[in-house]
This record gives sequence, structure tokens and C-alpha cells, in this order.
Amino acid sequence: MFLSLARIIKFGFQDVWRNFWLSLATIMILILTLFSVNLLLSLKIIGQAAVDNLKNRVDISIYLRQGVSEDKIMSLKARLANLNNVQEVKYVSQAEALQSFQNRHQNNPEIMQALEQLDKNPLTSSLTVKPVNPDNYDQLIEDLNKIQDPVIDSRNFQDNKELLNKINSVTKKINDIALAISLIFLLIMLLVIFNSVKLAIYSHRQEIVIMKLVGASNFFIKAPFLFSSLIYTLAGVILTAVIFYPFLSLLQPYLDTFFFGYNIDLLTYFNKNWWQIMGLQTIGTGLVNLLASYIAVGKYSKI
Amino acid sequence: MIKFNQACKAYLSHTKALDNLTLHIKPGEFVSIVGQSGSGKTTMVKCLIGEERLDSGQILVGDWDITRLSSNEIPYLRRQIGVIFQDFKLLPKKTLAENVAFALQVCGKSNKKINAVVPQLMKIVGLSEQMDRYPHEVSGGEQQRTAIARALVYQPKILLADEPTGNLDSINAEEIIELLQKINKFGTTVILVTHNREIVNNLNRRVLTISDGKLVSDQAKGKYLI
Repeated sequence: MFLSLARIIKFGFQDVWRNFWLSLATIMILILTLFSVNLLLSLKIIGQAAVDNLKNRVDISIYLRQGVSEDKIMSLKARLANLNNVQEVKYVSQAEALQSFQNRHQNNPEIMQALEQLDKNPLTSSLTVKPVNPDNYDQLIEDLNKIQDPVIDSRNFQDNKELLNKINSVTKKINDIALAISLIFLLIMLLVIFNSVKLAIYSHRQEIVIMKLVGASNFFIKAPFLFSSLIYTLAGVILTAVIFYPFLSLLQPYLDTFFFGYNIDLLTYFNKNWWQIMGLQTIGTGLVNLLASYIAVGKYSKI
Repeated sequence: MIKFNQACKAYLSHTKALDNLTLHIKPGEFVSIVGQSGSGKTTMVKCLIGEERLDSGQILVGDWDITRLSSNEIPYLRRQIGVIFQDFKLLPKKTLAENVAFALQVCGKSNKKINAVVPQLMKIVGLSEQMDRYPHEVSGGEQQRTAIARALVYQPKILLADEPTGNLDSINAEEIIELLQKINKFGTTVILVTHNREIVNNLNRRVLTISDGKLVSDQAKGKYLI
């Protein structure tokens, strides 16, 4: 039993080695497929992180009249905090608003100069309302519009929802395209493995004839070809990891710069989910390869 | 040993390859099967090693009905019947000894057994000195001897030789027939399918003549009639 298994493994490796260029082409296609799957996974992670980040930034500002007493402001703050779908209400004083404005525009000398020329703080105090769920943004705006209070000077209900919808739509499109590309590569992988096994069988047809002639079991004849497809899978997954990790390391600084403040760390994500990602890819690719090999062996080993 | 009972086999072209063929080969016999091309000899061989199935009738090997074997049972049948062909069917990248060993390897035999059996078989077929040579380095006769050694690895009770001398000159052909007779003397039933009139006539053993899938002649010490 173990002897047969050892010989199946030996013959499997021989198949791969003797058809070196064919094996190399097969493994290259596997790497391309897995690389694209990982790349698309990265795109999904980036998209999702960007959307989550943007959702956290969605808030509504209610600007207050100048010179209003703090009691009245706190009373309004409490009313707003009691509304459904309000996660947090933050009071931003005139001084804080000015400080924040200065921080934001510190690199713009024209704005800073204009600000210095004014005698007094031109900004008003405000209450910033953060929703529990940005998807219920419309409902929150409706609720806020119902509140009439003399403390309120103006309301800035800038429609972040439209932006959110756009991002959600782009993310969905990216996911759909990713799925379609992955499926196309999967199909290519299936066909390539099928043909590789077919050619391997063709190049071993003499041996297969003799094996059948001398009474080798069907399993023994077929198993080396199935095993060689597992070798392709493992080689493909390992080499993809070897190529993809340095690629991620090179990509990460660009992501940090481009998505500054968004905290998108692909390396950490892949490290954290290493076994899950690689395990699923190994199992998935292995099953596809086994299926393709099984069909090819069943069809072409009847010599 | 081997019984064909009203065996029928037709191909898609509706040609009857075997037409109610009935014959009986006893254990230890040396039987020549002769007939023109397309007479059904090869179909008979194919049915005997499970490569083709009968449409009707029955084939018995000993008490074993092999008419409707499943694909998993065929390997066991082939270990009981040694087969050699006109084209030797040797692997060109393996030495003669490796070719013989290959038959044992693929059926899961241990290296110890392989190392013990292969030299013995090579000695029986007279190739002890050529064991490490490759098929292209030896004569056709020596290649056929290697094929015979390989066919004997499981000590089969039946040796089926399908045109074994077809690719050989008369001297090599004679040597192969002598080897088959030697094997037959050890008790193995030998079935020789051939076109070679001279060999059949010199053997002076049982001859079965097949024509259009039917047995037309069965002579105990026969001659090539066609």
C-alpha cells in the first residue's frame, strides 16, 4: 500500500519533470490566476476600507447664533442626542472652529493672511451630529429639519449621501468585475490543467499501454496524473505567495500616501488572514485541478 | 483451461469477428491459432485479455467466467495471462531489466522481490548478459525475449503470443519458438497466434484454424491449412 503510494508520488513527479515546459506553462497560468485573484481581493479590501472610512466621516453640522448662552446650546445638544439614529453630538466652540480652520489651511498663506486681517473670529460655533448608520442619512436630515430653535443660525446638510452612493456603486462594480475576471481565470485554469494532463497522458501512452497489459490497477494508472495536478496546485500557490508578498510590500507605501489617513494596511490584512486566504486558495485550486485532471484522465487514459 | 462457448462479437460495421465460436484449450497445451487477416484471431485474443467484450456467449478461464468482467477485475485477469505481441511493447528509455521490473513495480511488488525475480527471468530467457542494455541496443529476438520475461513475471498459467515472430528473421523466430516450447514444458499453456506456415508445420502440435470468426479446423497434430 505504502509502496504503491510512494511509486504513485514518484511517477507523479516524473510526469511533471519529463514534461518540464508543459508543467512550467501550467504553473505560470496558475500563478497568473491566483495573482489576479489576490489582486482583486486587495482591491476589494481597499474599496471597503475607503467606504467604511468615508461613512465614519459623514456628519451634519448645525451652526449656532453668536452670543447664545451655553445653557441653551446644551439644551439643544441634549434634544439632538435624543433623536433616533444619532450616535454622537459634539459641540464645537468658536475658538475650536477657528483652530481647526487654521490647522486645515496652515499651508495656504493667502487664507491665513486674510484671516489675520479680520478683527474678530468670523466662524460660528456649531453642533456636529454623527449618525449611527450613514445609510439612514435621509431620515436623520428629516428629523433635524423638524427641530425649530432660535439658537440655530443655519444648517449645513451637505449631501454626503450622494457621495456614499457613488462609492458604494463603484465598490459593487469593482466586486462584480473582480468576480467575472476570477471566473474567467478559473475557466482558463481548468482548461489549461485539462490540456496539460491530456498531453502528459499522450506522452506516456506507451507506459499506460504496458501498465494495462501487465495488470496494473486503474487507480495506479490514473493516480500519478492526479497527483501531478496537486503538484501544480502547490507550486502555483507557493510561488504566488512568494511573488505577491514582495509586490504588497512595494505597493503599501504608495497606498499609505494615496489613502493618507484611511489606515489601509494590506500587508497586515494578509498576514492576519494568511491561513484563511492561502488555505482557501489551495483547496479551491486543488479541487478545480483535480476535477480537470479527473475528467482528462477518465477521457484519455483508455488507451 | 480456456473455453469459448458460442462466442459472438460484431463491430459497428456489422462484420462478425466471432461467429458462434466454440473451442476448448486444455491445461498445458501448446496450441497454434491460424487464420487469414480479419478471420477473428485478434478479436479472440482481445476478448481473452478483457480488451473487448463478447456480444453473446461465454469465455471461461479455468472456472472463472471472464465474459462480463468489470474494469476493476480486468487487471487481475491480465496477471493470470501473460501476453506478448509482434511489436514487443518495450519502453525505449528503460533497460531490458527495468522493462521487466516495471511490470512488477506497477503492481505494487516490493523492491526485494523485484531484485530477486528479474535476474531469474532474464536467465530463463537467456539475457543475463544483456540486462543493462536498452531495447535499441539489442536484436529483435532479444527484445521479444525481454517481452516474454515480462509476460512471465506473475508466473501465469497461460501465455498468449500474438504474432510473436512477425518482426523477426527466421533464426530469431526459431529461437523464440524454442523458448515458448521450453516454457510450455514447465506446464504453462501456450497459445500461439501466427501467420507463419513454417513455424506451425514444424511444431507439429495442435492447430486451430479460424475463418470468418468460426472454427473451421481443429487438428491434434496439425498443419497450416490455409
